[in-house]
Amino acid sequence: MPLSSAEAALRPRNPWEAVDLGVHLAQRHAGLLLGSWAALTLPLLGVLSLLLWRWPGVVLLLFWWLKPAFERLALHVLARALFGATPTLGQALRAWPGQLRGELLASLTWRRFSLSRSFTLPLTQLENLRGPARHQRLHALGRRSGVARWLTILGMHIELVLWSGLLALIWLFLPDQLSEPRNWLSLLLRPPQELLWLEHLSNACYALVLVVWEPVYVACGFSLYLNRRSELEAWDLELAFRRLAERLGAVGQALLLTLAVGLATLLASPPALAGETEPAAEAASALCPLPGEDNPGPDTPRLTHQPLTSRQAQAEIYVLLDQPPFHRVEERFDWNWPERDDEQPNDASPPPAWLQDVAESVEVLLWSLLAVAALLAWRYRDWLRLFAARARGSAAADAPPPTRLFGLAVDPASLPDDLPAAVERLWATDPRAALALLYRGLLSYLLHRRGVPLKDAHTEGEVLVLVQRLGDAPLAAFAARLLAAWQALAYGSRPPPADLGAELGAEWRQLTAATPPREVSA
Amino acid sequence: MPATSPASLLLDTRLRVETPEGVDLLLSPAGPLPRARAFAVDLALRGALSLTALLVLGRLGDLGIGLGLILLFLLNWWYMVLFEVFNQGRSPGKQLLGLRVVHEDGTPVGWGAALLRNLLRFVDMLPLGYCCGLLASLANRRFQRLGDLAAGTMVIHQPRAPRGSPLEPVAPLAAPFALSAEEQRNLLDFDERQRQLSPARRDELAGLLAPLLGVPPAEAAVRLQRIAAGLRGGV
Repeated sequence: MPLSSAEAALRPRNPWEAVDLGVHLAQRHAGLLLGSWAALTLPLLGVLSLLLWRWPGVVLLLFWWLKPAFERLALHVLARALFGATPTLGQALRAWPGQLRGELLASLTWRRFSLSRSFTLPLTQLENLRGPARHQRLHALGRRSGVARWLTILGMHIELVLWSGLLALIWLFLPDQLSEPRNWLSLLLRPPQELLWLEHLSNACYALVLVVWEPVYVACGFSLYLNRRSELEAWDLELAFRRLAERLGAVGQALLLTLAVGLATLLASPPALAGETEPAAEAASALCPLPGEDNPGPDTPRLTHQPLTSRQAQAEIYVLLDQPPFHRVEERFDWNWPERDDEQPNDASPPPAWLQDVAESVEVLLWSLLAVAALLAWRYRDWLRLFAARARGSAAADAPPPTRLFGLAVDPASLPDDLPAAVERLWATDPRAALALLYRGLLSYLLHRRGVPLKDAHTEGEVLVLVQRLGDAPLAAFAARLLAAWQALAYGSRPPPADLGAELGAEWRQLTAATPPREVSA
Repeated sequence: MPATSPASLLLDTRLRVETPEGVDLLLSPAGPLPRARAFAVDLALRGALSLTALLVLGRLGDLGIGLGLILLFLLNWWYMVLFEVFNQGRSPGKQLLGLRVVHEDGTPVGWGAALLRNLLRFVDMLPLGYCCGLLASLANRRFQRLGDLAAGTMVIHQPRAPRGSPLEPVAPLAAPFALSAEEQRNLLDFDERQRQLSPARRDELAGLLAPLLGVPPAEAAVRLQRIAAGLRGGV
């Protein structure tokens, strides 16, 4: 049993996932499994029914009792198919009698009611274990056969559900006259001998249900067995190690040779290597060199003396990029205008004259509607502008101007009423405080009088740019002087000229007198 | 829908789903049997709930019966939907047995998919007791019943965090040859699972790599353990 030829990935799984693998196995070989099961069991049921026509209950019991014997056929097919030797239908059926040797009596008598029979069947049939050896093996494997018991319990329910479902389906397809309760009663009240066919029909339904379900059941049990063994014996690791040994065994010799040659070249020419690194360092200093003579760019052929030239590599890369997963074809359906079909001649007959008149009047109506709409828009332009403006600038206008900027209070209430006088008073004793006061005054003026959207993140330079954008030259000049003095003092600790205070105060008076206070609408 | 493909060419329970970012997700769809178990748990829970509710409400006369019927309606039609939407695709039964409902691309189910797959339970129940759903999910590669096919969902096994077993501290060792990510994972697996193997089997497995490691087969297991410790970055 070479593990490498297994057609399923055998790694330890959670037992319920192993059951799912069993369903996959049964799906893959569904035709063979169902066919062989049907070819085996249905004729047998027919023979039994004919022999025991008077006792349909006994037929059902015998058929049910023989299930473990039939299961050996399904297991034989599965075990062969898993390792790539899928038998044909005829081969499988011919092999079945041979599979019956080996504790058939036990499995049909005292082990018939074992709930984990799907799990233990491979032990008997595939490993050919008997007596104490089987017991010991079972002990080693069987700690987790709880899922196998669950499988049998679920299987019983599934058989029942499918069986009654099939009977219900037949009943649903009966014509109305037959399915009336009166007719049913008359049918059921007949002497039992005349109802035999009904019981045989139900037996046949059971056999059909088993055709579908039993292969799945056997496959699930087999998969549980496989899972337990690959858990205990680490089959996946064996496969992986064999692959690794194969890969490295083949590569090992070539690797040694390459290493030797590589080492020789390295030892032979260290200065050449050092020489090559210097231009590389220079090239790295230029961040994005333009293509030139010594650096011809990525599109020119390079590596022309290598086994793989750059052109060839590029071609291969483009071929790769055209394949999935780099290249994906996606089909999308969207609503679209139909393409105009110009090729078809417009052979429609001209519309009647009255339709022309109607169309013209509708056209006139539409144009006049448009004109009225334009008139109305002009009439109510202020109203519209108000709405448009609100919609556009709401975010900026609704936000109240900040009360503090860069840690300076710029609320008008926090400033003295007569700012220039206060500045001139402070100038003699504390020029820094005086300049700060004037700067605060400027910011407050810009925020509240001129509506400049100042933010906490603005630097002095950015404030100056914003002021210059207002288009007010005296104000810009004032702000430039003030900010230059403020920056020199605040960051450079260079004292301002002594008469600057008075000049700035005077300018400030002129500016505030020239500009009438304008409240920014909130 | 992103392309889903089986995780390997071999028959496997895992599906590989590629996200738009190029990340491969491995999902393992749950078959009809685990799902039947989860459904049985949910059915028992709902039965017990509705029985107690009817017993209590039945004492209130007509009003109680009316309320009880509304409750039955909610339990019948909304129990699964609400749990699947609000509990990451897990009804109590599914949560107990480690299953969850996701879209075919692995994203969590939303209202549309949950409603559709649960409304279509009625089709799956035809003609009796989930016959259609059972046959459909037995025949489907992702084990989807008809409702799942319509809603584009599937039920997957919720990956459980592996129980970390305490590892013996050994002196880490660099691997003497370059290993692919897959092979590194295999070595780590060997280290973690060697306690479940019989000593003879462990030595046999390690012996496969003994010629590559250049040690006698008896010492290969310990050497592999040290290499695994090196791959893990020390203990």
